[in-house]
Amino acid sequence: MITVVSGLPRSGTSLMMQMLGAGGIPLLTDSLRPSDADNERGYFEFEPVKSLARDASWIDSAEGKAVKIVSLLLYHLPPEHDYRVVFMRRPLAAVLRSQAAMLQRRGEPAPNAREDEALSIHLQRHLDAVDTWMARHPRLKVYSVGYEELLRNPPDALSGLPKFLDRDFDLHSMAQTVEPRLRHH
Amino acid sequence: MFFTPRVKIEPALYARLKTVAAAAGYSTVDEFVQHALEKAAGQIELEESEEEIRKRLRGLGYIE
Repeated sequence: MITVVSGLPRSGTSLMMQMLGAGGIPLLTDSLRPSDADNERGYFEFEPVKSLARDASWIDSAEGKAVKIVSLLLYHLPPEHDYRVVFMRRPLAAVLRSQAAMLQRRGEPAPNAREDEALSIHLQRHLDAVDTWMARHPRLKVYSVGYEELLRNPPDALSGLPKFLDRDFDLHSMAQTVEPRLRHH
Repeated sequence: MFFTPRVKIEPALYARLKTVAAAAGYSTVDEFVQHALEKAAGQIELEESEEEIRKRLRGLGYIE
């Protein structure tokens, strides 16, 4: 079984990876993307994931581990594995604000209100489609976690994870990784 | 709300639609065509949306 942490970028996927690591799940990461002002504790990414659409040969190495995969790439998961997807949810307005700030820090032009409004429609359409796709996948189960709820009340937001991932967790250690100062703005 | 636009299709295609609609349990060809067009439009819209998201994710460094 492969644990996948997914969602839109800036919805708390790195935080969830960090939490799962603190809870004792081995993480599939390579630390090639360094931490920065947008993710001070790191991105918890595995570089080959970015090319999942054309090369999934690494997927066997994710067995028994947790790997972060943005929602747009989930469709490319090879069908011959079992997946437990921890899907991070956050209001789209907050996701877009956070992405805009990140783009600016990367020297990219900031999207204007009209572009954000259009992208919000695109993101919602994508989330609806990916939810439908996940619900129909015969070997994939989903556990949704709200980013805001996770920051507000970690034990509550995490309470269903042990059953979902069929293992015991040190929920206290996991909850301690939340540092409100590092929330995505 | 429905209105009655005229869409020209070839007779052979109409005959196929009639057969397929009946086999799939649609009560009319109109009902089948409405459903099929909704589905096709939704797929095109989704592809357009995911292309826009792909551009954003590239800008943020999340995909290649």
